[in-house]
Amino acid sequence: MCLDRGLFSGYTAGPFYDEMFSSQGAARSHYARLLEKLGGMAPSQFEERRKLADLSFLLQGITFTVYSDGRGTERLFPFDLIPRILPQSEWAHIEAGLTQRVVALNLFLQDVYGKQQILKDRKIPSSLVYSCRHFRREMMGLEVPHGIYTHVCGIDLVRDSSTGEFYVLEDNVRTPSGISYVLENRLVMTRAFPEAFHEHEVLPVAHYPSELSRILRMLSPRGESESQIVLLTPGIHNSAYFEHSFLAQQMGIELVEGSDLIVDGVVVYMKTIYGLKRVDVIYRRVDDDFLDPLCFRSDSMLGVPGLMGAYRAGNVALANTPGNGVADDKAIYAFVPTLIKYYLGEDPVLRSVETYLCDRSDHLSHVLTNLPKLVVKSVGESGGYGMLMGPSAARAEIEAFRERIMSEPRNYIAQPIVPLSVVPSYDSAAQCMAGRHVDLRPYCLYDGQKVTIVPGGLTRVALQPGSLVVNSSQGGGSKDTWVLRGEC
Amino acid sequence: MNRYHLLHATEFLYDGPVYESYNEVRLRPIHDDRQSCLSFRLTTLPNSRVSSYKDGYGNWIHVSNILPHHRRLRFEAESVVLVHEAPAPEPGGMQLRDLDAKRADLYEEHFDWVAPSAYVPYLPELAEISKSAEDSCDGTVAGFVQATSDTIHRNFVYMKGATHVHSSVRDSLTLRAGVCQDFAHLLLGVVRMRGLPARYVSGYLVSGSAGPGAKQEEVIGGQASHAWAEVFLPGQGWVGFDPTLGNPIELRHIRVAYGRDYGDVPPVRGVYKGRAGQSLSVDVRFRPALDDSGHEQFAETSAEPEESEGHPQERPQQHSQQQ
Repeated sequence: MCLDRGLFSGYTAGPFYDEMFSSQGAARSHYARLLEKLGGMAPSQFEERRKLADLSFLLQGITFTVYSDGRGTERLFPFDLIPRILPQSEWAHIEAGLTQRVVALNLFLQDVYGKQQILKDRKIPSSLVYSCRHFRREMMGLEVPHGIYTHVCGIDLVRDSSTGEFYVLEDNVRTPSGISYVLENRLVMTRAFPEAFHEHEVLPVAHYPSELSRILRMLSPRGESESQIVLLTPGIHNSAYFEHSFLAQQMGIELVEGSDLIVDGVVVYMKTIYGLKRVDVIYRRVDDDFLDPLCFRSDSMLGVPGLMGAYRAGNVALANTPGNGVADDKAIYAFVPTLIKYYLGEDPVLRSVETYLCDRSDHLSHVLTNLPKLVVKSVGESGGYGMLMGPSAARAEIEAFRERIMSEPRNYIAQPIVPLSVVPSYDSAAQCMAGRHVDLRPYCLYDGQKVTIVPGGLTRVALQPGSLVVNSSQGGGSKDTWVLRGEC
Repeated sequence: MNRYHLLHATEFLYDGPVYESYNEVRLRPIHDDRQSCLSFRLTTLPNSRVSSYKDGYGNWIHVSNILPHHRRLRFEAESVVLVHEAPAPEPGGMQLRDLDAKRADLYEEHFDWVAPSAYVPYLPELAEISKSAEDSCDGTVAGFVQATSDTIHRNFVYMKGATHVHSSVRDSLTLRAGVCQDFAHLLLGVVRMRGLPARYVSGYLVSGSAGPGAKQEEVIGGQASHAWAEVFLPGQGWVGFDPTLGNPIELRHIRVAYGRDYGDVPPVRGVYKGRAGQSLSVDVRFRPALDDSGHEQFAETSAEPEESEGHPQERPQQHSQQQ
């Protein structure tokens, strides 16, 4: 394929692994058909489709909220029209790796809140588990419905340019968000490029809400036929409020806030204009801390007092289970390969990024001397908050982080910078294609027997030239992710 | 006499109507090989159905939800307890200089009882107390803990009202004063910093007139709700120390709950709706249950009602300090 004209003229893959082009500059086979189509397009035609897509997002109100800029601004989630394509063989490998990981994390949670065999066997330091901010002593010895903790997981993957392999970057097993963008991106993409879907066999993603709703119904303590399911949201100021309302509507369940629910005795009810209605299952998108002021933070206004009592009595099911944060703690992450080996007797299918635990003195000294080369993360945070990107950080920022790490080493881990792969993305300012770094967050649903993963997931893209931070809260955008039925 | 009939009443009075009151109560005495809880009953006013569960530390928690409007909330916990002889520190035992080799293991096995907690942070002032106790003790671990308890007893003034329910050791170290809650926290802080596991004990001290051969004036503050600490002595196990009383644990110490600090085991903790100030009174009465000759003796310890500031917020909290 010659890149001398049209949309891709002047495009160079650069030093990173390019998802679309091989190192010789030829399109990879699973991208060939798309490139043929797009390559023939004039920039003006492409621009037209792009505007159509943007308008579609705007009209549907698909937004998120950024906290850190002090304005609480609601923004459109930038969407890039060039899809991220995965051939079947690569996806099968990812799927096997994620399935293994979700099952192992669930077994770990059962164990640490139960018999703690893994701690007794000294495979993980018990101090590491107990010192985790999200380890909930309130969950100890509590039997959870069907033994499921990790109903919904969003596991972040990256492709390392130096090896071309996928690595797990972090696990999100508390209240991962982003699935609504996966579904909406696909919808918008089929409108903007209907013909592309004739030419490719792209595996569907639209069954996610029905699969999630099946699992939620299954959890009902009164049986599936009599199940009142609700989605509990912190409210309109939450960054993922759009997703909460979207999923509730897609699943045909009620969207409620804490003040819509009340616990009487040990049963949860929803306040309706017809009186109180018993609630059986809560898909909660409120953090543990705010879930029940009686059990957790007493100053919470978002939660439902007495909720944990009803949960403990088995009268209501919660998804995800409280206390999951101990499994996606970024220091525990370093032990996930150990967990997989311990619980499943298998070697991990997907590799993990080398991780330095700052509360180990040998690791700490390495971290402190190599700060400008490393990425430092706060163990309990997510969404790209509380992070230091050594190579791009100012000197003062590095020194400030050094202080923070030394005063609270358990709270930080460090990793080498992973040179993320790139996908050509449209730079609207320069009106040309340019390689931009991407990650991939697939969404895994677990019903206690089987892990279901909608093919693909959310490909997040760092739209700033050279940036490696893909989080939407840090100015990232997204792409539609295609998993092909075959290899091309 | 080591068999007691206990009546613990906690009453909240509000100066306006409140509603949707959710409460956790930790008042059921521990039942184990050193103490038998022969019966326990919790009643509430207004009436409510009480449910219960055991937490991760083995404490019994009773939960009561009261939805209708009310201006007065009363919990009455009634129990019969048989107290057995508590283990005293055994003579000899591990030498303090051998403790350092065990520190890493103790930290892994008893993390919650060694790590700093919300009310008991590690502070340099605690290390000073540790140093002086270490210099004055007989060189054994047990001796060190006893010396620490004695040092705290001697150098801090028992003073009601000096601290409040949410005071940490920081406050009592500044004031050199506090109540039993603070004395227990100080002991926890010192021995934990030295590497020893230690836990907060919430309980009762039966007054002298009801206890066996004890003098009335030993009941400090006149209130029976009490707190002390248990320390894990390697080679022996958990042994109680009472830095407030300055005496060994006796048959009049009744254990109710274990926690990292007071924050884990408040006797009554709750949230409610309504914009009203609250006042709290606690009243604990003991009566020896039938003695060996079949006679009942009566003795009462009645608490002074304690005023606490009202918190006019949407979901105020209720708490009572341990004396």
